[in-house]
Amino acid sequence: MENILEITGLCKRFGSKRVLDGVTLAVPESCVFGFVGRNGAGKTTTMKSVIGLLRPDGGDITVCGERVTYGGARTNRFIGYLPDVPEFYGYMTAKEYLSLCGRIAGMKRVDIRERSDELLRLVGLEGEKHRIRGYSRGMKQRLGIAQALINRPKLLICDEPTSALDPVGRKEILDILKDAGRQTSVFFSTHILADVERICDRVAFLEGGKIALCGDIEDIRKKRSDTAVEVLPENPADLARLAERFPAGEVSGGCFILKNASRQNAEELFGFLLENHISLVRFERKEPSLENMFMEVIGE
Amino acid sequence: MRFLRNFVTFTGKEFMELCRGGRLLLFTVLFVLVGVLNPATAKLTPWLLETMADSLESSGMTVTGITVTAMDSWVQFFKNMPTMAMLVTVVLFGGCFTSEYAKGTLIPLLAKGMPRSAVVAAKTFTMMLVWSAGFWLSYGITYFYSDYYWDNSVVRHYAFAAFGLWLFGALMLCCVVFFSSFARSAAPVLLGTGAVYVVLTLLGMVGTVREYLPSFLLQSGDLLSGQAQPSDYSAALWITAAACGLLLAAAFPITSKRRL
Repeated sequence: MENILEITGLCKRFGSKRVLDGVTLAVPESCVFGFVGRNGAGKTTTMKSVIGLLRPDGGDITVCGERVTYGGARTNRFIGYLPDVPEFYGYMTAKEYLSLCGRIAGMKRVDIRERSDELLRLVGLEGEKHRIRGYSRGMKQRLGIAQALINRPKLLICDEPTSALDPVGRKEILDILKDAGRQTSVFFSTHILADVERICDRVAFLEGGKIALCGDIEDIRKKRSDTAVEVLPENPADLARLAERFPAGEVSGGCFILKNASRQNAEELFGFLLENHISLVRFERKEPSLENMFMEVIGE
Repeated sequence: MRFLRNFVTFTGKEFMELCRGGRLLLFTVLFVLVGVLNPATAKLTPWLLETMADSLESSGMTVTGITVTAMDSWVQFFKNMPTMAMLVTVVLFGGCFTSEYAKGTLIPLLAKGMPRSAVVAAKTFTMMLVWSAGFWLSYGITYFYSDYYWDNSVVRHYAFAAFGLWLFGALMLCCVVFFSSFARSAAPVLLGTGAVYVVLTLLGMVGTVREYLPSFLLQSGDLLSGQAQPSDYSAALWITAAACGLLLAAAFPITSKRRL
């Protein structure tokens, strides 16, 4: 699988503050990639470097195999970009704005018209005749995605697209991004982990100017050893039997918890419960949440 | 090719902005008004003085036989153009770059591969076009009425003097482009442009350098009366044109390097 975006050893400092300190990551084709980090971790700096709006102090960025240069980045023809707070010309309508973007990108008139209609339908602005001036934040965000997708980019970069939105707006944007991810790679930054869990295939955690953890979400989950099995027996007296048979486990809050349980451990435990006719209220295998992983990564 | 395409597209966007923001209407009214005001002021002067004759007489002045010529109308033109039209033009265009930088409206377009030079070129072109069209519209109106009521032939070199004034206005707009390449808001742009104007005017009072300065182009009185020749102004003209070129040449690379 070819990588659409490759960042190698990206460094950037603002004054004495080292924001990026050797960021390395790769976004493969047709993938929704979550870029997670706290506020001020350097997510926007990374993204602006990718579209050539910031000059990195070191490192290399390639988009579709071409090197990104600062200033008039030619690689931007492969990219659609949605800034964190997108601002458009308030005196235009959504359609006029998309037409402006299409012409800037060098598209043909007929193509612009067809693509605009298609995208306005996708983002739910097709009936909107008003000027952008009167748009809500969510509407601007949706128009932002439409303008980013107008020239069928191979890579869609969205800077915190859901941060400022209410739950309904957030869901809408996530659905649109997931939809867009079928045709193009999506690289989006966020600090909302639930969003990542909802739509991403891959994730990277940015912490201290470096990528602390990166990979396929399922793989990361599997690699983590902190999968726990939690058992709540109907009769509390059975807790002691469980603790005796599985000394690695512990009793806490009326439950028996077996930490770092492999699949085999879980099967053994379940077999033991069946053999001994221990009746259950609950038997649960707990996956580590991204939030736990993130907290672990940032050391809190 | 990409530059040209983006330049044309972005210029179209600039004019849409001028129309929908109501500024184009404002410019049209302004320049027509200034154009009409010059002959009107000249035409009304005798009548104004006559109505005030009584009060003037009581203070010891007698008003007799006032004759107005096309000269009075043109003198008004060269007085009103820099003080009203040029000033308003510079103020209305003062924030046209910086407001885009501040709001971030250029980011989505630059991210589509539009070169920054196309933005600078399109905005400069739009400003120059508005200034030129407005200026020569005013000129045309003044020319027509001055000739209709009186006779333009008594005034010397008015077209050349007008060209000098137009070039000075272009220089002020080039200052706007230059200061916009690094300023963050409209205020420093206008302050910088104003400072250039003031410094030029003050230096213009020094006899030795006077005729080499762009501000010399504003002093058209001697030209109109025929006491000075166009050739006397050639140094100031060339220097002003060169200054325009230098300011623009500096604005492009600075804008390309500024952080957005």
